Amino acid sequence: MSTPVTQEAVGVRQDVDRCSSCCVCSTLCPYEALKKDTAGKITLDIARCQVCGLCYSTCPAKAIDTVYYDVDSLTGYLENARRESGSDTLVIMCKGSAPDSAKVQEMFGVSQFATLSVPCVGRVPEEIFLKAILMGFNEIDVLACEEDYCRFVRGSPVTSRKVAGLNAVLEQLGWGKVINLKKNSLKVKATSELCIACGNCVYYCPYHAAKLNSPGVISFDLSLCRGCGLCTAMCPALALDLENWERERISTLISQHVIDMTSPRILVFRCQWAVFPSLNGQSPASNIRFIDLPCASRVDTFHILEAFQKGVEGVMIAACSEDDCKQEKASGKAQRSVAKLQARLGQIGFQDKLYFCTVAPRYPDRFIKELEQFSQKICQANKKEAT
Amino acid sequence: MIVTTQKPLDEVLDFISPYDNILLVGCDGCTQPPRGIREARTLGQLLELGGKLRGKSFTFKATTTAKQCDPYLTASMLKPQIEGADAILSLACGIGVQTLAQIFPVPAFPTQNTHFMGAEEREAGILEERCAGCGNCLLAVTGGICPVARCSKGLITGACGGSKAGKCELSPERDCGWVLIYNQLKRLGKLELLKETRPPRDYQLKGWKVTA
Repeated sequence: MSTPVTQEAVGVRQDVDRCSSCCVCSTLCPYEALKKDTAGKITLDIARCQVCGLCYSTCPAKAIDTVYYDVDSLTGYLENARRESGSDTLVIMCKGSAPDSAKVQEMFGVSQFATLSVPCVGRVPEEIFLKAILMGFNEIDVLACEEDYCRFVRGSPVTSRKVAGLNAVLEQLGWGKVINLKKNSLKVKATSELCIACGNCVYYCPYHAAKLNSPGVISFDLSLCRGCGLCTAMCPALALDLENWERERISTLISQHVIDMTSPRILVFRCQWAVFPSLNGQSPASNIRFIDLPCASRVDTFHILEAFQKGVEGVMIAACSEDDCKQEKASGKAQRSVAKLQARLGQIGFQDKLYFCTVAPRYPDRFIKELEQFSQKICQANKKEAT
Repeated sequence: MIVTTQKPLDEVLDFISPYDNILLVGCDGCTQPPRGIREARTLGQLLELGGKLRGKSFTFKATTTAKQCDPYLTASMLKPQIEGADAILSLACGIGVQTLAQIFPVPAFPTQNTHFMGAEEREAGILEERCAGCGNCLLAVTGGICPVARCSKGLITGACGGSKAGKCELSPERDCGWVLIYNQLKRLGKLELLKETRPPRDYQLKGWKVTA
């Protein structure tokens, strides 16, 4: 008798019985995780899946299941958001390009609104838009990433088509054009007076957006920038910053978190494509807080040290593996930079307080397990220090 | 660029242990890896954490200079910042440290060990010596590869007998400078340069001072 194999939990599942092999998913899947096999059946190769949710949101047979942002949890979240915000306007944003609320107000000309922020708007099924309208939202503003900025390649174009289709139907039904779509991207901001022309950004930029044109001044071709933040984290002159993930803003977040955390404080910098945050944004324990970043490469050694200075006992970085990285393997460079810092921290006995791991949303339990282990280690070290 | 490496933090903490208010001064000039404002702040953060473990709390202020070896430039850049500091930590090469020590009344300490004039192989994260400052540049006849810096014996007349499979006998990791030169001259179609006889190296040309 063979022993049953415990299968690891996965972020996306295919219900083979429901699948009608229509191939919508395999045509859309940006990662060739869903493919038609020789027998004409669709198969899911979870190892390739990046959990963009496009298959989930478009499958006509509802044969795809996901543990993230499914219809039930989105519905629950929206009902709550409608009640709490008291607003008729809903703004659905991709985390990849979601700006602060002042910018949202300006972009859509709205003052009060409920927000739904998810990693790629392409994962939101049409059903959710219709449900939101039935809940009483009479304006839905959608902010997706620019097409060449979309981390999931096809998420942004799929969103455009979805919104156009929905608006056509809604107009026919007499609701008018309820859904407004805008596209956004968050890119590097350079303060050229501070540039020392060291060339780090030219070397590190995975997209060749940084150029040293005239002597001593770096310029960026913003049409090439994909907002990973690697240049910002590597600039020795602090001349670069990343829109919406400014150095100051992250510092403020750290300070805010430290105040309401219990000891031993653990701060986790997460790549927002490596770990998908829960809809309510809550962390699992009172001593743990998360800061979500556009890529692990935006993790600044400066912020790690700042966290330690402010009394954080453990800093964990949850990144994508190089192969999963949505930013041209920038996570690998981030890992090397963290390793360098770790070596320096070793000189003052802090090396065990910093931990870099790679996880992926396709295996939701891995991040939880990594966090548990790190948390235990920090708690034990804390107890030891106390005695 | 002038290549430096960070001194062990304990050593730096020893330097500053008698002092409280420390000004950390980066250099945006030729130090490589860059030791600008980010490094100055990072070092301040590390020393603060290290100091805490020693039961000592320092006050750090981080700043940077355009070219720390220039006394006029550095004095004008730092004068407004030096107030209140009872010691200075320099992130520049040894020349920067000496400049600070010369222009300010408070003690200046190095945070770096200065190695050589070199270049960075970024993918490998390695910095190698490229110029030995010999005072008699031979690059015109060696295909732009310096025999003084790249040959571990500093030979200017060609490879010694210890060159094996393109590597130096002193370290199997190190390229033989003369094999590099040979290949480069071959690529340029200038191998005949190797046949020219050259006078022996004049070590006095290096000198210890020159006229501006």
